[in-house]
Amino acid sequence: MSAVIADPDRPQQLEMLRSSALTFATRESPATRARALRSKAPGFDLRFWSALATQGWTGLLVPESAGGYGQGFAEMAEVATALAAQAAPEPVTPVLVFAGRLLQACAGNTTAQALLAELAEGRALPAVAWQEDASGAASFDLRGRLAEPAAVCVREGDQLVLRGGKRHVRPGAAATGYIVTASSSEGMALVWLPAQCVGLVRNVDRLADGTFAARLQFDNVAVPAAHLLAIGPAASDALAAAYDETLVLTGVELVSVARRMLSMTLDYLRTRKQFGKLIGSFQALQHRAVDMLIQQELSGALVAHALAELDRGCTGSERALLAARVKSRCSEAALTIARESIQLHGAIGVTDDCDLGLYVQRALVLSAWLGNAGVQRRRYAALSRNAARQPGAAE
Amino acid sequence: MNTTDWNSLDTEDFRATVRRFFEHNYPEALRYPKRRLRWAEIRDWTLKLSAQGWLAPSWPVRYGGMGLAPEKLITFIEEQERHGVARAPDMGISMVGPLLIQHGSDEQRAHYLPRILSCEDIWCQGYSEPNSGSDLASLRTEAVEDGDDFIVNGQKTWTTLAQDATHIFLLVRTDKAAKKQEGISFLLADMKTPGITVRPIRNIAGNEDFCEVFFDNVRVPRSQRVGELNKGWTIAKALLSFERIFLGSPKQSQYALARVREAAELLGLFDDAVFTDRYTQLALDVADLGTLYTRFVDQVKRGETLGPDVSMLKVFATETYSRLANLLVEIAGASGGMPGDIEVEGGSIDVLTTFYNARPATIYGGSNEIQRNILATSVLQLTA
Repeated sequence: MSAVIADPDRPQQLEMLRSSALTFATRESPATRARALRSKAPGFDLRFWSALATQGWTGLLVPESAGGYGQGFAEMAEVATALAAQAAPEPVTPVLVFAGRLLQACAGNTTAQALLAELAEGRALPAVAWQEDASGAASFDLRGRLAEPAAVCVREGDQLVLRGGKRHVRPGAAATGYIVTASSSEGMALVWLPAQCVGLVRNVDRLADGTFAARLQFDNVAVPAAHLLAIGPAASDALAAAYDETLVLTGVELVSVARRMLSMTLDYLRTRKQFGKLIGSFQALQHRAVDMLIQQELSGALVAHALAELDRGCTGSERALLAARVKSRCSEAALTIARESIQLHGAIGVTDDCDLGLYVQRALVLSAWLGNAGVQRRRYAALSRNAARQPGAAE
Repeated sequence: MNTTDWNSLDTEDFRATVRRFFEHNYPEALRYPKRRLRWAEIRDWTLKLSAQGWLAPSWPVRYGGMGLAPEKLITFIEEQERHGVARAPDMGISMVGPLLIQHGSDEQRAHYLPRILSCEDIWCQGYSEPNSGSDLASLRTEAVEDGDDFIVNGQKTWTTLAQDATHIFLLVRTDKAAKKQEGISFLLADMKTPGITVRPIRNIAGNEDFCEVFFDNVRVPRSQRVGELNKGWTIAKALLSFERIFLGSPKQSQYALARVREAAELLGLFDDAVFTDRYTQLALDVADLGTLYTRFVDQVKRGETLGPDVSMLKVFATETYSRLANLLVEIAGASGGMPGDIEVEGGSIDVLTTFYNARPATIYGGSNEIQRNILATSVLQLTA
């Protein structure tokens, strides 16, 4: 990846990628497409996913050794931004960032390497299954780090046997398999469970935006020992890294969704008339729009900074604190902008016919996923204490 | 005087040089002052800066400045803020110098610039009037031509440290018939001129940071007009340089956050989950403000001009500061109405200084409501 990041032509290449991603997303993914795919499993379009693969975007973050393009997070962000701006429902961040980066961190493992190559080609859609309770509060320990899972993994002969359950797994439908976290005698284990595994029970829940999340139940499900992707500190470090990176890329999507909502709202303020005047001329509404702008720009500046830090290779508690900051700010900002956008649209804003709703629902789903603003704020406080200082301490 | 080419230095070497000078020379007792210092208090330090040739970091070298490029100037100011160096009366440096360099006559430059650099002249700004605050262009202090002079009548107010100033630069109305922005001129006046009266205004913190300045048939020579007649408004607007960015510096909020943290530790509040969450929310606001600030600073460092969007920084910075001040008053509980140092178990805290300082922050430099108007019309393209 470092070769790409050090390339002096990178800004121009990013600009080209931005423009082609925007052109593609606008042409191939109008709001009518997103609207039509809602609430019918899998909630997105597998042919569209193949089209993303044809563009080379499923392999953006994958190293060249696994058949990908070895690009950085900033490149991935351009694609995620363009698709989120069209409310495209495809699971770009869950599959390509969360699962993809996790598999990449297990690079020594042949199963992981094969899965990663399939992911780059667009043929595999692995999902990460790590959270276990309804609110997600049990996913973190008191120090703000990812908690030991309650699910267990035991070696029996040349097999691994798993017991437990998982929630909030995205994509909930059409995943080709799951990277499951489990506790073992050797520490945390990451195990690959193919979707058609005998004994794996999957329930699918519809989310607000018409996509799906899965609940998994595995009672003594056995898979070959070769499906152990990583174990011990290697597994927990890999999960922590992929998790932080996914928080940042989810932040990227939230910023894109928020920008779209503000821009729709401004269009409305510039055209809607009441009392014989454009409502955008009323100072009370102007000031509310400005507060939305400030939240949008705070999120945008933070996400740009975090992407640069990830590409620079920032690690450990520095990365965790930054990722928590990003997810907290972007979740809060997007939800605030969503609520304000509805209010400034008036009654039309609460109708299903209005495209604003596509983005409001997406903001709800993305804000909740992986820990909302409140959860990330508590993590930030705990992680700061852990780093032997109070949150936000200046020197 | 110092003739170093500062801009050829590596930024970090330059930073180290500046930091060393502040550490060795700036009086310890004046670091992070709780209020605006008076000239008598900051005079020795200012003269030391002057002797060092560092009083005017932004002025061109040929006028006696350091000639710092934007990146170096930002470094210089960052180091001032980091060390808690007080703001001296700097209107001569930040306003009159650039004004004369761009619009002054050769005589005005030759006379005034050296006197600013030697601290012989201390300037104050005569812009606001009792009935012209946010709507500054409606100002009514008038200057009528009479022979070789203008005769000035009217009143200025909120004039920061006018009681310490030797000179005032002011906007006056020279054409009552013209559209309000088109009848304004720029004048320079000696504060000792007969007819000028200064009356300090006591603020709610008990300090006299600003004054009223009255003009009663004050004779100002025509030679003291800067720029063309009736072009004062255009000139004043053009003086809004990239230094506007410092109105949105996160330093004030970082400092206030540290005060909240100290108070909360003394009061044992970090065991309280509700407090900790509110504190963290503000800590995140301060951190994210810092990131947004850096984005604008990088723009300046690249030599780009700032757009009207920089106003958002001032709004968020000062409102974050204000929220921190509110929290400080709240956690002080029953002591929240007590000015100055409050003794608590294990130490002392001061809550009202931050509260009082936070109040003008959302008002000066264009009130936050005016900033929001600017953002709405110039950035969001919403029209009145």
